[in-house]
Amino acid sequence: MLDIGQSAPAIPGLDLGSDAALIVFFETDCPTCRLAVPYLNKLARGARVIGISQDDQAATNHFTQQLATAFPVQRDSGLALSRRFDLTFVPSLFLIDHNGRVLRSHFGFDKAVLNEIAMQMRCPPVAEDFDGAPQSKPGCMSRHLEPKVDGEFAPAPASGFIRSVPASVIEVPDGEDLFEYCFRNFGDALPVIPPTPERIASMLSGAAVNPNEIIARVPPCYGEATVEKIAANAVMAGCIPDMMRVLLPLVRAVCDERLNVHGVQATTHFAAPLVIINGPIRNELGFAYRQNAFSNVARANSTLGRALQLILLNIGGARPDGIDMSTLGNPGKFCYCIAEHEEANPWEPFHVERGFQHQQSALTLFAAEAPHGVSEHTARTPEQVLKSISYALATVWTYRACLGFDAVVVLSPEHARTIHRAGWTKQKAREFLFENTGVPVRAYQDAPDAEGSQLISKYQEILINGERCYQKFRSPDSIHIVVVGGTAGKFSAVIGSWAAGPRGSEMVTYPI
Amino acid sequence: MSTKLINPMNETPVRVSTAPARPRSLQGKIVGLLDISKPGGNLFLDRLEQLLRERFQVANVVRTTKPTYSKPAPPGIIEQLRAVDAVVEALAD
Repeated sequence: MLDIGQSAPAIPGLDLGSDAALIVFFETDCPTCRLAVPYLNKLARGARVIGISQDDQAATNHFTQQLATAFPVQRDSGLALSRRFDLTFVPSLFLIDHNGRVLRSHFGFDKAVLNEIAMQMRCPPVAEDFDGAPQSKPGCMSRHLEPKVDGEFAPAPASGFIRSVPASVIEVPDGEDLFEYCFRNFGDALPVIPPTPERIASMLSGAAVNPNEIIARVPPCYGEATVEKIAANAVMAGCIPDMMRVLLPLVRAVCDERLNVHGVQATTHFAAPLVIINGPIRNELGFAYRQNAFSNVARANSTLGRALQLILLNIGGARPDGIDMSTLGNPGKFCYCIAEHEEANPWEPFHVERGFQHQQSALTLFAAEAPHGVSEHTARTPEQVLKSISYALATVWTYRACLGFDAVVVLSPEHARTIHRAGWTKQKAREFLFENTGVPVRAYQDAPDAEGSQLISKYQEILINGERCYQKFRSPDSIHIVVVGGTAGKFSAVIGSWAAGPRGSEMVTYPI
Repeated sequence: MSTKLINPMNETPVRVSTAPARPRSLQGKIVGLLDISKPGGNLFLDRLEQLLRERFQVANVVRTTKPTYSKPAPPGIIEQLRAVDAVVEALAD
C-alpha cells in the first residue's frame, strides 16, 4: 500500500489543481465500503472526494444510485490503478496533496480516521459516536488479490445488494399451517405470530421512519436491520406498534461497538444482553418493575426482550445451533428485559446517574449472566445488607477471578429503603460494596493453577474484617445499582457480566 | 390461494470467496501463528512452532497476537499475516 510521502500514480482524467483530494477505492458488494459512503458524502460537501470502483459499470451505477454518492466515481478498468496503489483491502483511502504526494493512507472503516482526514481537509467531523455504526470495521480483500475463478477475476455478485429496498415476500401455500411454517423457518424455538403484510403495516405505524432505512447492521453477520425487518420481528414477538419507539434505539444501542455484541453473541460464556428501561416510557408502554420484574408479568417486557432476541437471531445470525457457541446458554436468550422501579428508588434513577434527564426515557444494555439471588431478611443496617450482597458479588465470573468484569446489583425496594433510611447515598453503597468485596488470599493457596490464580500479581491486596483479601472489582464504577421489584420481600440479585471494559463489553445507555 | 408473509430474516447478500489452495508441503514456507490472547494459547503455539521448525523445515514462523479474544482482529494483524503462506489460529482456553 502506498505510504505517506510517496507519489500517487496519475489517475486518468483527474486534474488535481490546487486542492488536496481523498481517493477512495471500493467494491460495490463490500459491506464496509457501503458503510463508509454516507460519511464520505458528508465529507464531499466541503472537500474533494473521488471514488474508484473496482467493479463493472452496471454494478458501479447501481451502487452510486442506491447510495446516492455525492462525489464523482470512476471505474478502475482492469484493476490497473488498484495494483499501482498496491491495495490490500477496500475501502482504501489515500489523501493526496496537490503535488500528488500521499499525505495519509488507510484501509477499512474507522470513524476516528475519517474525522482526522476531515480535519486535515479543513472540514467538520463527519462521523459521530452512537449513530449505530461500529467505531471501526475491517473491509474486504481488494478485487485484484481475490483468488481467480477459471482464470478470471471472481465476478462481483449481481448488483442486488440490499439497501433501502423492501424485504422479500414469502408465499406460504394454502393448506400449510402458518404457525408451523413460521415455527420451522423463523424464530427461537417458540411459536411466533406470522409476519403478514397487514400486521407489519400496523407495526410500522408506530415508527415515523422510512421502512427501508437501515437502523444498524447487526453482528456477528452484520445483517442490515431495516425498519421493516425490525417491524417484522416485532410482530413475531407480539409487540404493540408503539414499541417501535423503543425498538429502534434499542437496535442502534445493541450494535454500539462498546457493547461488542459481536463477541457477546458468539462467546462460550453465558452472556445475553440485559435491557434496563428507565423514564416515563415505563408507564406509557406498561413495563413491569414491581413483583416478577424479571419474569412473566408484563407484555411490554416480554415482547420487547423477545423482539431483541429475534432480531439478534434472525438478522444478526448468531443462531444457537451455529455461531452462538455458549456452552450452557442463558434463559435470558429468550427475553431479558427489566425496568427500574423508580417510584421505590430513594436515590436518582439509573438513567439519571448515566447522564440523562429525569423526564428523558432511556434504555441500558449490559452483557449479563443470569440473576443470582441474595436473601437477607434479618439484617437491619446498610452494612449488614450490603455485606450479604458482597458475598454474592465475590462469586461473579468465578470465585478466584478478580478485575475482569462488572456487575449489576438489583436492589429490592426493601433493601434500598434500609440502606437509604440510614442516610446512605447510592455512591456510598457502591463504595462500600467495592471495598468489602474480595476473595481471601487463603483461597488461592491450594489451587495455583485455578482460573484467577495466575493473575494474582495484578490484584490489589486489601483487608476485609482483618483478613487479607484480593479486591474483586477494578473500581466502584464496576458495580451498577438499580432498584427493581415488588415492595414486599427482602430479596436482591447480583448479575455478573461477560468480559468487561474496552477489551470486552461496556454497558451502553441510549435515549428513547 | 397462498398467504403472504414479509421475510423477517437477514437478506443482506453474503460475499462468497474461494479459499486459496492449501500448500502441499510446509517445507520452506512461512507460517503465521495467531494467538487470540486466551489463556494457554501461547503454550499450544510454542509447541507448534517447535514442531514446525523441527519436523517440517518451515522457512520461518511469524507470531502475532490479537489485543483481545473478544473482538475481530484489527486490520494491522490481518495485514501482517498477508505475507505468510499458511496461518494457524489458536482459539485455546
